[in-house]
Amino acid sequence: MTYVRLAGVTRVHGEGATAVHALKGVSLELDVGELVAVMGPSGSGKSTLLNLAGGLDRPTSGTVHIGEQDLAGVRDLAALRRRSVGYVFQDLNLITSLTAAENVMLPRELDGVRSGRARQEAMAVLAEVDSADLADRFPEELSGGQRQRIAIARALVGERRLLLADEPTGALDTRTGDEILRILRARCDAGAAVLLVTHEPRYAAWADRVVFLRDGMIADTTDTPLASAR
Amino acid sequence: MSIRHGLLALLSTGSRHGYQLRVEFEASTGATWPLNIGQVYTTLSRLERDGLVEPGESDEQGRVAYTITAAGREELARWFGTPVVQSDRPRDELVIKLAMAVAAGRADVAEVIHKQRTATMRALQRLTTAKRAATDGAAQRLVIDSMIFQAEAEQRWLDHCEAVLKEES
Repeated sequence: MTYVRLAGVTRVHGEGATAVHALKGVSLELDVGELVAVMGPSGSGKSTLLNLAGGLDRPTSGTVHIGEQDLAGVRDLAALRRRSVGYVFQDLNLITSLTAAENVMLPRELDGVRSGRARQEAMAVLAEVDSADLADRFPEELSGGQRQRIAIARALVGERRLLLADEPTGALDTRTGDEILRILRARCDAGAAVLLVTHEPRYAAWADRVVFLRDGMIADTTDTPLASAR
Repeated sequence: MSIRHGLLALLSTGSRHGYQLRVEFEASTGATWPLNIGQVYTTLSRLERDGLVEPGESDEQGRVAYTITAAGREELARWFGTPVVQSDRPRDELVIKLAMAVAAGRADVAEVIHKQRTATMRALQRLTTAKRAATDGAAQRLVIDSMIFQAEAEQRWLDHCEAVLKEES
Protein backbone atom coordinates (compact mmCIF):
# COMPACT_ATOMS: atom_id res chain seq x y z
CA MET A 1 0.00 0.00 0.00
CA THR A 2 1.49 3.31 -1.06
CA TYR A 3 1.83 5.74 1.81
CA VAL A 4 3.75 8.59 0.21
CA ARG A 5 3.49 9.50 -3.45
CA LEU A 6 5.54 12.17 -5.20
CA ALA A 7 4.48 12.68 -8.83
CA GLY A 8 6.47 14.81 -11.27
CA VAL A 9 7.76 16.98 -8.48
CA THR A 10 9.92 20.00 -9.25
CA ARG A 11 11.27 22.57 -6.86
CA VAL A 12 12.82 25.82 -8.02
CA HIS A 13 14.42 28.20 -5.58
CA GLY A 14 14.60 31.82 -6.74
CA GLU A 15 13.64 33.21 -10.12
CA GLY A 16 15.02 34.14 -13.52
CA ALA A 17 18.71 33.80 -14.22
CA THR A 18 19.58 32.95 -10.62
CA ALA A 19 16.90 30.26 -10.25
CA VAL A 20 18.16 26.99 -8.80
CA HIS A 21 16.37 23.86 -9.98
CA ALA A 22 16.73 21.65 -6.93
CA LEU A 23 14.42 18.92 -8.24
CA LYS A 24 13.54 18.43 -11.88
CA GLY A 25 10.55 16.10 -12.09
CA VAL A 26 10.94 13.37 -9.51
CA SER A 27 8.36 10.63 -9.06
CA LEU A 28 8.72 8.32 -6.10
CA GLU A 29 6.38 6.09 -4.13
CA LEU A 30 6.95 4.79 -0.66
CA ASP A 31 4.92 1.86 0.60
CA VAL A 32 3.88 1.05 4.12
CA GLY A 33 6.58 -1.18 5.57
CA GLU A 34 9.13 -0.01 3.05
CA LEU A 35 12.55 1.48 3.69
CA VAL A 36 13.80 3.58 0.79
CA ALA A 37 17.26 5.10 0.82
CA VAL A 38 18.17 8.19 -1.20
CA MET A 39 21.81 8.65 -2.14
CA GLY A 40 23.56 11.34 -4.07
CA PRO A 41 26.29 13.95 -3.88
CA SER A 42 25.74 17.23 -2.10
CA GLY A 43 23.52 19.48 -4.15
CA SER A 44 21.76 16.58 -5.86
CA GLY A 45 18.43 17.40 -4.20
CA LYS A 46 18.34 14.79 -1.42
CA SER A 47 17.30 17.11 1.37
CA THR A 48 14.82 18.96 -0.84
CA LEU A 49 13.21 15.62 -1.65
CA LEU A 50 12.98 14.72 2.02
CA ASN A 51 11.50 18.12 2.92
CA LEU A 52 8.86 17.82 0.19
CA ALA A 53 7.95 14.24 1.14
CA GLY A 54 7.35 15.35 4.72
CA GLY A 55 5.47 18.55 4.00
CA LEU A 56 8.22 20.84 5.28
CA ASP A 57 8.25 22.49 1.88
CA ARG A 58 5.87 22.70 -1.08
CA PRO A 59 6.76 21.74 -4.66
CA THR A 60 6.93 24.31 -7.48
CA SER A 61 5.00 21.81 -9.61
CA GLY A 62 3.86 18.22 -9.27
CA THR A 63 2.00 16.66 -6.36
CA VAL A 64 2.81 15.14 -3.00
CA HIS A 65 0.40 12.79 -1.24
CA ILE A 66 0.76 11.48 2.28
CA GLY A 67 -1.77 8.73 2.83
CA GLU A 68 -4.93 9.92 1.06
CA GLN A 69 -4.12 13.58 1.39
CA ASP A 70 -2.83 15.82 -1.38
CA LEU A 71 -0.58 18.24 0.48
CA ALA A 72 -1.56 21.03 -1.91
CA GLY A 73 -5.00 20.93 -0.29
CA VAL A 74 -3.76 20.95 3.28
CA ARG A 75 -3.83 24.38 4.90
CA ASP A 76 -2.18 23.51 8.18
CA LEU A 77 0.88 21.52 7.17
CA ALA A 78 2.36 21.86 10.65
CA ALA A 79 -0.54 19.93 12.17
CA LEU A 80 -0.31 17.22 9.53
CA ARG A 81 3.41 16.90 10.12
CA ARG A 82 2.95 16.63 13.88
CA ARG A 83 0.39 13.88 13.47
CA SER A 84 1.84 11.91 10.57
CA VAL A 85 5.53 12.56 10.08
CA GLY A 86 8.55 11.98 12.26
CA TYR A 87 12.00 13.39 11.57
CA VAL A 88 15.44 12.23 12.58
CA PHE A 89 18.33 14.49 11.74
CA GLN A 90 22.06 14.24 12.08
CA ASP A 91 21.97 17.00 14.65
CA LEU A 92 19.72 15.40 17.14
CA ASN A 93 17.98 18.50 18.42
CA LEU A 94 17.11 16.89 21.71
CA ILE A 95 16.29 19.52 24.27
CA THR A 96 19.08 19.41 26.83
CA SER A 97 17.00 20.56 29.80
CA LEU A 98 14.48 17.73 29.33
CA THR A 99 14.96 14.05 30.10
CA ALA A 100 14.83 11.46 27.34
CA ALA A 101 11.21 10.62 28.16
CA GLU A 102 10.22 14.30 28.28
CA ASN A 103 11.81 14.86 24.89
CA VAL A 104 9.78 12.00 23.45
CA MET A 105 6.57 13.27 25.13
CA LEU A 106 6.98 16.76 23.74
CA PRO A 107 5.38 16.38 20.29
CA ARG A 108 2.38 14.63 21.85
CA GLU A 109 1.93 17.34 24.45
CA LEU A 110 2.14 19.96 21.70
CA ASP A 111 -0.68 18.07 20.07
CA GLY A 112 -2.77 18.48 23.21
CA VAL A 113 -2.34 14.98 24.62
CA ARG A 114 -2.48 15.00 28.43
CA SER A 115 0.86 14.49 30.07
CA GLY A 116 0.01 11.18 31.76
CA ARG A 117 -0.96 9.62 28.46
CA ALA A 118 1.94 11.27 26.62
CA ARG A 119 4.29 9.69 29.13
CA GLN A 120 2.68 6.27 28.63
CA GLU A 121 3.10 6.58 24.87
CA ALA A 122 6.67 7.77 25.31
CA MET A 123 7.55 4.82 27.53
CA ALA A 124 6.00 2.40 25.04
CA VAL A 125 8.00 3.74 22.12
CA LEU A 126 11.20 3.97 24.21
CA ALA A 127 10.77 0.28 24.98
CA GLU A 128 10.42 -0.43 21.27
CA VAL A 129 13.84 1.09 20.62
CA ASP A 130 15.36 -0.71 23.64
CA SER A 131 15.79 2.50 25.59
CA ALA A 132 13.28 2.23 28.45
CA ASP A 133 16.17 2.29 30.92
CA LEU A 134 17.31 5.66 29.58
CA ALA A 135 13.98 7.40 30.13
CA ASP A 136 15.03 9.59 33.05
CA ARG A 137 18.45 10.56 31.77
CA PHE A 138 19.32 13.92 30.28
CA PRO A 139 20.78 14.06 26.75
CA GLU A 140 24.25 14.93 28.00
CA GLU A 141 24.28 11.75 30.06
CA LEU A 142 23.79 9.65 26.93
CA SER A 143 26.18 8.38 24.25
CA GLY A 144 25.75 9.46 20.63
CA GLY A 145 24.04 6.19 19.73
CA GLN A 146 21.71 6.37 22.72
CA ARG A 147 20.76 9.97 21.86
CA GLN A 148 19.96 8.93 18.32
CA ARG A 149 17.71 6.13 19.61
CA ILE A 150 15.82 8.71 21.70
CA ALA A 151 15.49 10.94 18.64
CA ILE A 152 14.02 8.00 16.72
CA ALA A 153 11.60 7.30 19.57
CA ARG A 154 10.53 10.95 19.48
CA ALA A 155 10.03 10.71 15.72
CA LEU A 156 7.82 7.65 16.11
CA VAL A 157 5.71 8.55 19.14
CA GLY A 158 1.96 8.63 18.62
CA GLU A 159 0.43 7.37 15.41
CA ARG A 160 3.12 8.58 13.06
CA ARG A 161 3.87 6.07 10.37
CA LEU A 162 6.18 8.08 8.13
CA LEU A 163 9.72 8.54 9.30
CA LEU A 164 12.14 10.81 7.46
CA ALA A 165 15.75 10.37 8.39
CA ASP A 166 18.43 12.76 7.12
CA GLU A 167 21.91 11.29 7.72
CA PRO A 168 20.80 9.77 11.04
CA THR A 169 24.11 7.96 11.40
CA GLY A 170 26.12 11.15 10.88
CA ALA A 171 28.88 11.11 13.45
CA LEU A 172 28.35 7.58 14.76
CA ASP A 173 30.86 4.75 14.47
CA THR A 174 29.88 1.93 12.13
CA ARG A 175 28.75 -0.47 14.86
CA THR A 176 26.45 2.15 16.39
CA GLY A 177 25.34 3.21 12.93
CA ASP A 178 24.34 -0.39 12.18
CA GLU A 179 22.35 -0.46 15.40
CA ILE A 180 20.42 2.66 14.31
CA LEU A 181 19.64 1.05 10.95
CA ARG A 182 18.55 -2.13 12.71
CA ILE A 183 16.03 -0.04 14.67
CA LEU A 184 14.78 1.82 11.58
CA ARG A 185 14.46 -1.50 9.76
CA ALA A 186 12.50 -3.01 12.63
CA ARG A 187 10.12 -0.02 12.61
CA CYS A 188 9.58 -0.59 8.90
CA ASP A 189 8.90 -4.26 9.40
CA ALA A 190 6.36 -3.20 12.05
CA GLY A 191 4.51 -1.10 9.45
CA ALA A 192 6.21 2.30 9.28
CA ALA A 193 7.43 3.83 6.02
CA VAL A 194 10.95 5.21 6.19
CA LEU A 195 12.72 7.54 3.78
CA LEU A 196 16.41 7.65 4.57
CA VAL A 197 18.92 10.10 3.14
CA THR A 198 22.48 8.94 3.48
CA HIS A 199 25.79 9.25 1.68
CA GLU A 200 27.04 5.99 3.16
CA PRO A 201 26.47 2.94 0.96
CA ARG A 202 26.66 0.57 3.94
CA TYR A 203 23.58 2.16 5.52
CA ALA A 204 21.70 2.57 2.26
CA ALA A 205 22.09 -1.18 1.84
CA TRP A 206 19.59 -1.77 4.67
CA ALA A 207 16.86 -0.37 2.41
CA ASP A 208 14.45 -2.31 0.23
CA ARG A 209 15.18 0.12 -2.55
CA VAL A 210 17.99 2.59 -3.15
CA VAL A 211 17.42 5.68 -5.27
CA PHE A 212 20.38 7.61 -6.67
CA LEU A 213 19.78 11.31 -7.23
CA ARG A 214 21.90 13.33 -9.63
CA ASP A 215 21.30 17.00 -10.41
CA GLY A 216 17.72 16.91 -9.20
CA MET A 217 16.75 13.76 -11.09
CA ILE A 218 16.63 10.06 -10.28
CA ALA A 219 19.66 8.60 -12.05
CA ASP A 220 19.39 4.95 -11.05
CA THR A 221 17.36 2.87 -8.68
CA THR A 222 17.65 -0.67 -7.40
CA ASP A 223 13.98 -0.84 -8.23
CA THR A 224 13.11 -4.47 -7.66
CA PRO A 225 12.42 -4.76 -3.96
CA LEU A 226 14.39 -7.58 -2.42
CA ALA A 227 11.80 -10.09 -1.31
CA SER A 228 14.23 -11.50 1.21
CA ALA A 229 14.85 -8.12 2.79
CA ARG A 230 11.47 -8.22 4.44
CA MET B 1 43.02 -17.89 1.91
CA SER B 2 44.96 -19.90 4.42
CA ILE B 3 43.09 -23.17 4.88
CA ARG B 4 46.28 -24.51 6.41
CA HIS B 5 46.29 -22.06 9.28
CA GLY B 6 42.54 -22.20 9.62
CA LEU B 7 42.73 -25.93 10.24
CA LEU B 8 45.62 -25.50 12.68
CA ALA B 9 43.56 -22.93 14.59
CA LEU B 10 40.64 -25.37 14.89
CA LEU B 11 42.95 -28.20 15.95
CA SER B 12 44.53 -26.01 18.62
CA THR B 13 41.37 -26.46 20.70
CA GLY B 14 41.36 -30.27 20.42
CA SER B 15 41.73 -33.24 18.07
CA ARG B 16 39.31 -33.53 15.18
CA HIS B 17 38.80 -35.61 12.09
CA GLY B 18 38.50 -34.21 8.58
CA TYR B 19 34.74 -33.94 8.37
CA GLN B 20 34.50 -32.10 11.70
CA LEU B 21 37.17 -29.67 10.52
CA ARG B 22 35.25 -28.91 7.38
CA VAL B 23 32.00 -28.27 9.24
CA GLU B 24 33.65 -26.06 11.85
CA PHE B 25 35.65 -24.09 9.30
CA GLU B 26 32.47 -23.25 7.43
CA ALA B 27 30.61 -22.42 10.63
CA SER B 28 33.32 -19.91 11.62
CA THR B 29 33.42 -18.16 8.29
CA GLY B 30 29.70 -18.37 7.56
CA ALA B 31 30.14 -20.70 4.57
CA THR B 32 31.65 -17.77 2.71
CA TRP B 33 34.45 -19.97 1.52
CA PRO B 34 32.99 -23.43 1.11
CA LEU B 35 35.59 -26.10 1.59
CA ASN B 36 35.40 -29.49 -0.03
CA ILE B 37 36.45 -32.51 1.93
CA GLY B 38 39.23 -33.25 -0.57
CA GLN B 39 40.87 -29.89 0.21
CA VAL B 40 40.69 -30.70 3.89
CA TYR B 41 42.44 -34.06 3.51
CA THR B 42 45.08 -32.71 1.10
CA THR B 43 45.84 -29.91 3.55
CA LEU B 44 45.97 -32.32 6.50
CA SER B 45 48.46 -34.58 4.73
CA ARG B 46 50.70 -31.59 3.97
CA LEU B 47 50.47 -30.44 7.59
CA GLU B 48 51.42 -33.98 8.62
CA ARG B 49 54.36 -34.00 6.18
CA ASP B 50 55.58 -30.71 7.72
CA GLY B 51 55.27 -32.11 11.25
CA LEU B 52 52.55 -29.66 12.29
CA VAL B 53 49.84 -32.27 12.96
CA GLU B 54 49.79 -35.97 13.86
CA PRO B 55 47.20 -38.55 12.85
CA GLY B 56 45.80 -40.85 15.54
CA GLU B 57 44.44 -44.38 15.21
CA SER B 58 41.46 -44.73 12.91
CA ASP B 59 38.21 -45.41 14.72
CA GLU B 60 35.68 -48.14 13.89
CA GLN B 61 34.26 -46.01 11.07
CA GLY B 62 37.72 -45.55 9.61
CA ARG B 63 37.97 -41.88 10.61
CA VAL B 64 41.33 -40.53 11.67
CA ALA B 65 41.48 -37.77 14.26
CA TYR B 66 44.35 -35.32 13.89
CA THR B 67 46.17 -33.58 16.74
CA ILE B 68 48.23 -30.40 16.56
CA THR B 69 51.95 -30.81 17.43
CA ALA B 70 54.20 -28.39 19.37
CA ALA B 71 55.64 -27.23 16.02
CA GLY B 72 52.09 -26.74 14.81
CA ARG B 73 51.28 -24.52 17.80
CA GLU B 74 54.40 -22.50 17.11
CA GLU B 75 53.44 -22.05 13.47
CA LEU B 76 49.94 -20.98 14.49
CA ALA B 77 51.30 -18.42 16.98
CA ARG B 78 53.61 -17.08 14.26
CA TRP B 79 50.66 -16.75 11.88
CA PHE B 80 48.47 -14.88 14.38
CA GLY B 81 51.45 -12.70 15.29
CA THR B 82 52.29 -11.65 11.72
CA PRO B 83 50.30 -9.00 9.85
CA VAL B 84 48.99 -9.98 6.44
CA VAL B 85 50.84 -8.23 3.62
CA GLN B 86 48.68 -6.12 1.36
CA SER B 87 49.75 -8.36 -1.48
CA ASP B 88 49.36 -7.56 -5.12
CA ARG B 89 45.70 -7.94 -5.79
CA PRO B 90 44.74 -9.84 -8.87
CA ARG B 91 43.91 -7.49 -11.69
CA ASP B 92 40.58 -5.92 -10.99
CA GLU B 93 38.27 -6.17 -13.97
CA LEU B 94 36.18 -3.19 -12.96
CA VAL B 95 39.22 -0.93 -12.63
CA ILE B 96 40.50 -2.03 -16.03
CA LYS B 97 37.07 -1.58 -17.59
CA LEU B 98 36.76 1.95 -16.27
CA ALA B 99 40.29 2.93 -17.14
CA MET B 100 39.75 1.65 -20.67
CA ALA B 101 36.39 3.39 -20.99
CA VAL B 102 38.05 6.67 -20.02
CA ALA B 103 41.30 6.24 -21.95
CA ALA B 104 39.84 4.84 -25.14
CA GLY B 105 36.83 7.12 -25.01
CA ARG B 106 34.78 4.37 -26.62
CA ALA B 107 32.16 3.61 -24.02
CA ASP B 108 29.75 5.88 -22.21
CA VAL B 109 31.70 6.11 -18.96
CA ALA B 110 28.80 7.58 -16.97
CA GLU B 111 26.66 4.63 -18.04
CA VAL B 112 29.36 2.14 -17.00
CA ILE B 113 29.47 3.82 -13.58
CA HIS B 114 25.68 3.91 -13.17
CA LYS B 115 25.29 0.25 -14.05
CA GLN B 116 28.08 -0.82 -11.76
CA ARG B 117 26.89 1.32 -8.89
CA THR B 118 23.43 -0.19 -9.03
CA ALA B 119 24.87 -3.70 -9.23
CA THR B 120 27.27 -3.10 -6.34
CA MET B 121 24.44 -1.64 -4.27
CA ARG B 122 22.35 -4.75 -4.88
CA ALA B 123 25.29 -6.85 -3.73
CA LEU B 124 25.54 -4.68 -0.62
CA GLN B 125 21.82 -5.14 0.03
CA ARG B 126 22.21 -8.92 -0.22
CA LEU B 127 25.19 -8.89 2.15
CA THR B 128 23.24 -6.75 4.63
CA THR B 129 20.32 -9.17 4.47
CA ALA B 130 22.74 -12.04 5.12
CA LYS B 131 24.22 -10.15 8.06
CA ARG B 132 20.80 -9.56 9.60
CA ALA B 133 20.10 -13.27 9.31
CA ALA B 134 23.48 -14.31 10.74
CA THR B 135 22.81 -15.07 14.36
CA ASP B 136 25.44 -17.78 14.91
CA GLY B 137 28.04 -15.64 16.58
CA ALA B 138 30.37 -12.79 15.84
CA ALA B 139 32.83 -14.64 13.56
CA GLN B 140 30.27 -15.05 10.78
CA ARG B 141 29.00 -11.49 11.04
CA LEU B 142 32.52 -10.08 10.91
CA VAL B 143 33.29 -12.06 7.77
CA ILE B 144 30.20 -10.54 6.13
CA ASP B 145 31.20 -7.10 7.47
CA SER B 146 34.53 -7.46 5.72
CA MET B 147 32.75 -7.96 2.40
CA ILE B 148 30.42 -5.06 3.18
CA PHE B 149 33.38 -2.76 3.73
CA GLN B 150 34.93 -3.89 0.43
CA ALA B 151 31.73 -3.33 -1.52
CA GLU B 152 31.38 0.04 0.15
CA ALA B 153 34.90 0.99 -0.89
CA GLU B 154 34.04 0.12 -4.49
CA GLN B 155 30.90 2.25 -4.27
CA ARG B 156 32.84 5.22 -2.92
CA TRP B 157 35.42 4.82 -5.64
CA LEU B 158 32.66 4.87 -8.29
CA ASP B 159 31.25 8.10 -6.80
CA HIS B 160 34.77 9.51 -6.84
CA CYS B 161 35.26 8.54 -10.51
CA GLU B 162 32.00 10.20 -11.41
CA ALA B 163 32.87 13.42 -9.59
CA VAL B 164 36.37 13.60 -11.10
CA LEU B 165 35.15 12.89 -14.65
CA LYS B 166 32.35 15.45 -14.32
CA GLU B 167 34.89 18.05 -13.32
CA GLU B 168 37.15 17.28 -16.27
CA SER B 169 34.46 17.14 -18.93
